[in-house]
Amino acid sequence: MKQTELLKLAEKLIKYSVSHGADDSVISINRSSNFSVECRNDKIERLEDASSLSISVKIIKDSKVANASCSDIDVSVVEKLIKGTIKRAELSGQDKYATLPEKSASYIDPEELMLFDDEIAKMKPEEKIKIARFLESEAMKNKSINLSNGSSCYTGSGTSVLALSNGFSGFYDFTYLSAGIALQTSDNDKMYQDGWWETNVKRSKFPKLDKIVQKAVERTTRLVGAKKIKSQNVPIVFDPNMSAMLLGFFAQCVSGTSIYTKQSFLVDKLGEKIANPLVNIIDDGTLAGLPGSRPYDREGVSSKRLKVVENGELKSYILDTYAANKLNLKSTGHSGGTTNFYLEAGQSSPEEIIASVKNGLYLTNTIGQGTVPTTGDISKGASGIWIENGKLTYPVDEITISGNLANILNDIEMLGNDLEFSRSRVAPTIKVKEMSISGL
Amino acid sequence: MMAANMLQGSLVQLNALSTDIPGYESIFGITSKEMNKILSIALEKGGDFSELFFEYTISNSMMMQDDILKSSSESIIKGVGIRVLKGEQTGYGYANELTFDKLRETALAAASIADGGSRIKIADFNVRKPKHNYYDLNTIIAESELEQKIKLVSSAYQSALNYDGKIAKVTSSLGDSIQFVTIANSEGELISDLRPQARLVVRATAEDNGKRGTGSYNQGGRVGFDFFNHDVTPEEIGKNASREAIILLDAENAPAGEMPVVLSKDQSGVMIHEAVGHPLEADGNWKGQSLMADKMGQMVANPLVTIYDDATIPNYRGSLNIDDEGTETENVMLIEKGRLVGFMHDKLSAKMMNTKSNGHGRRESYVNPPIPRMNNTVLEKGDSIPEDIIKSVKKGFYAVSYQGGQVQNTGKFTFSVNLGYLIEDGKLTKALRNATLIGNSIEIMKDVDMIGNDTGFFLGNCGKDGQTVPVTCGTPTLRIKKMTVGGQL
Repeated sequence: MKQTELLKLAEKLIKYSVSHGADDSVISINRSSNFSVECRNDKIERLEDASSLSISVKIIKDSKVANASCSDIDVSVVEKLIKGTIKRAELSGQDKYATLPEKSASYIDPEELMLFDDEIAKMKPEEKIKIARFLESEAMKNKSINLSNGSSCYTGSGTSVLALSNGFSGFYDFTYLSAGIALQTSDNDKMYQDGWWETNVKRSKFPKLDKIVQKAVERTTRLVGAKKIKSQNVPIVFDPNMSAMLLGFFAQCVSGTSIYTKQSFLVDKLGEKIANPLVNIIDDGTLAGLPGSRPYDREGVSSKRLKVVENGELKSYILDTYAANKLNLKSTGHSGGTTNFYLEAGQSSPEEIIASVKNGLYLTNTIGQGTVPTTGDISKGASGIWIENGKLTYPVDEITISGNLANILNDIEMLGNDLEFSRSRVAPTIKVKEMSISGL
Repeated sequence: MMAANMLQGSLVQLNALSTDIPGYESIFGITSKEMNKILSIALEKGGDFSELFFEYTISNSMMMQDDILKSSSESIIKGVGIRVLKGEQTGYGYANELTFDKLRETALAAASIADGGSRIKIADFNVRKPKHNYYDLNTIIAESELEQKIKLVSSAYQSALNYDGKIAKVTSSLGDSIQFVTIANSEGELISDLRPQARLVVRATAEDNGKRGTGSYNQGGRVGFDFFNHDVTPEEIGKNASREAIILLDAENAPAGEMPVVLSKDQSGVMIHEAVGHPLEADGNWKGQSLMADKMGQMVANPLVTIYDDATIPNYRGSLNIDDEGTETENVMLIEKGRLVGFMHDKLSAKMMNTKSNGHGRRESYVNPPIPRMNNTVLEKGDSIPEDIIKSVKKGFYAVSYQGGQVQNTGKFTFSVNLGYLIEDGKLTKALRNATLIGNSIEIMKDVDMIGNDTGFFLGNCGKDGQTVPVTCGTPTLRIKKMTVGGQL
């Protein structure tokens, strides 16, 4: 089926649901083709080639909500599913906050966002296999790596269709390409693992493969000989990946759902200073060619640039229509979550940031959950490089870092100038004044 | 026995989901003859083994919040995964359009892992049924009246809300599913299984003068409605969540550093799952990635420690009659009195290590190829009285409830404690909140030095290689000589 036919089908199903008793309805259809190849020890270990389709339905009747989804596109099957969903909605409680948003005044042309790349869609399996093989063979040339945990190359392309009974309907096509390698090394009885992956919506912007290898090797080998250190409170420098991890926890805390369910330390903090004035956090779904971009959210609300934190002040929550209604605010176009969510870059080079630390941790990896939005508490297993007198010295691991996000945000003392939009959630290197390290 | 009542909107009637042949023919619209043909096409390019995994799953969920049933949802997936093995290589394709042509196209995509070579003849099907039934199929929750389910969710909700005036928000939700699978392979196996699953989860947030705490509790398994009448009531589930939220209101930061750790019986299986379970899944071992790869037959734990993974515990969340490759499940001994005696195998890992699968090949859905996974991982109980274990510690950390855990191939693992207590002079004193405990598999298993005579289970979802499967893990109360507790100084 062509994209326009899928769009027509979605519009038809909206009409069907309204004529069968729904006050409002939302229909989305997602179709995708995925290819993946994983190589290990110079062999293709796994090759996957598949396609899938799913259709989902939301019904509002008499302010009562029910949802459904299925992987069958047969019209009679979907119509039966819709009728069942309308019936089921009647059993839900009446919820005046369950409404559809108004159709936005204007929309970005999906083509301007450049989410679809013909070059990726047309890549031959052989080419993808070559990428995965290259990553591994290059990495294994390095004598300090003694085991490959596998290299991989993934591509996907698809179409996302959305129609609402408020009159909105639209579709857009998307692609992605990602590739990377996981490595392992050891000394004596201890083993170390790390790796590197990149993803992009455009083939021509995909990073050079030897850069990926270089980064994966460097990240793995620099852990060798890691020590456990004694417990202490010290400054922590977060590498960009780790800053992004912290930003992910913040995204969870600032989401409207966490706020109205009171599971966030940011409840009632709108308009207040929550971070160091250096801190600016933005969500922008309108940036062309970036993985988090989208013309509109899952409720058809147009994407925009949203200042979440400006000079340390909390300016906005991340809201879909329901959370917005609950909090007496307006949807920010975030049904389905954040888009390109980033911490703005600062002035300092990563080297300057490290040089400013007398005794502290350069954090490069964490493991485990250990985040509680309700309180802002964070405690995670950690590894990295110890900083002494402004210089990276020896690797450390089997320690934990802990603190509270409310304090951490205020304690961000320096921001790096190394922000790269390589993923949908990115941040530069940051320095946090003090956190607890547990070790010996 | 199946109830007559059907959910609205279901694609096929659930009572058609019978393991009696030819249940699969009516559900997937494909005959065994056609399956045979597809298996043969999949081997056209020289693979040594081909397999079809058909799945039809109905999952339901409903959620209560702010005193109303917010919404309910129903999701139906139907599809096939086609796998071809060639040596240690896997070709995989999946589709949710179950026409013969689409299946052929998918089989050819999977077949491309091999090139040339001899052709294997497909064996005639030996149609089998699972030998045992470890599920409660008498009162399938996915099949029951919505009103009955709403009552369950609402009882849990109310009891959580009424537990204490400080409870500010409660979310009570029920997730249930019924999965029908049919597995056919080139060795002539053809087997189906019908698998129920349900879980009732309550999260409660307490508020007092700007302080907040969130607690949660859940119960369920491959159970029917009876479970929530006899084994654990929805009221208990609600109260347990709120009790934790109230305690957390005044909980303090955990201390930092190395100290003795006592794990309570209730949920501490998380530690066994991460520290021991994952390293003993055979894929990491035949690939040489696991730190257990060369330790078979050696002492890897304190002689007090015996660990097994048992997929045959009736009605448990991780239990299965057959795994997702059609192999009958069993109770697999992993560590016996400290000695490593077994790995968890799927067909591929078993082939690579010259043994037989012991029924641990699992997949999230037809979209994923099977890999070795845990089911119900248990550390066997010992002789110590739980109170004596706590009494034996002068200053230490007592872990009660968890967010989860994570482990690397290197054996470095963490688990995140939601609620714990400080042990001072053999007594539980202050309540402590959020702390991550970190350790190394090899060291931790030698450091378990007291084992209680009690047992409790953690119900979880285990993620690996992008696939999530339901599991449980059980432990008695345990003492670990020392571990690093990630609190604050």
